[in-house]
Amino acid sequence: MRIQTRREGGCQVVAILGSADTEASLVLREALLGAIEAGETRLVCDLREADFLCSDVLGVLITAYLKARGRGGFVRLADPTEPLRELLKTTRLDHLFDIYSDVTAATARP
Amino acid sequence: MPSRRRPSGDSQAWTEKTLPTHLGAIRPVVAELMVRLRDLGYDEDHRFAVRLATEEALVNAMKHGNRMDPSRQVRVRYGATPECVEIHVADDGAGFNPASVPDPTADENLRKPCGRGIMLMRSYMDEVSYSGSGQEVHMLKYRNP
Repeated sequence: MRIQTRREGGCQVVAILGSADTEASLVLREALLGAIEAGETRLVCDLREADFLCSDVLGVLITAYLKARGRGGFVRLADPTEPLRELLKTTRLDHLFDIYSDVTAATARP
Repeated sequence: MPSRRRPSGDSQAWTEKTLPTHLGAIRPVVAELMVRLRDLGYDEDHRFAVRLATEEALVNAMKHGNRMDPSRQVRVRYGATPECVEIHVADDGAGFNPASVPDPTADENLRKPCGRGIMLMRSYMDEVSYSGSGQEVHMLKYRNP
């Protein structure tokens, strides 16, 4: 897994590229929670090129979501691939996260 | 319905490994299993499901079973035929009652960052069972359920 970060539409976009397994969850945790600790509260996780997420990664996303929400912000998910969309549905995390068709849509909403 | 060949009766189809309780030991095992399934012609959906379930089982064994104690080990045994794949994961922990694990999809648990592994294993595999006092999990997925 690789992570790419960029600013777009007033949000910090964190893109997951490849497979995010348990080992990779530690890197993602640092990227997302580090950004929140640094003052970012509007975060979008770009899943367009992510092909695998394990439950530890889902846990990191939830922790980041709660921290960002606690500071008046958000963590939104953008463009999950079909297996990940199914994973979010299976875990019912599609009821927790706002999921957008792409990063532009995710950053456009206030 | 024709009987489906399970790896149980084919010693050549099995791989056994003993892993240290170290999360870094998981990735090579899962990668090797994925190569086996790809070579047998399993599609991406099947490989995703088996990968997720195997990862979750190994992480559970290390984190919750062995409590990340480096003196404990995890044993994984997997076998695959063109019809199905079986995975067995055993830890050195005290065991647990799988029925006592809260449903992570319940509204009150959705915000909890952990506790989804067993549910995912059950959701993505066709059969999941435990033996001992919960120290060993057995999982099976058919290519054509």
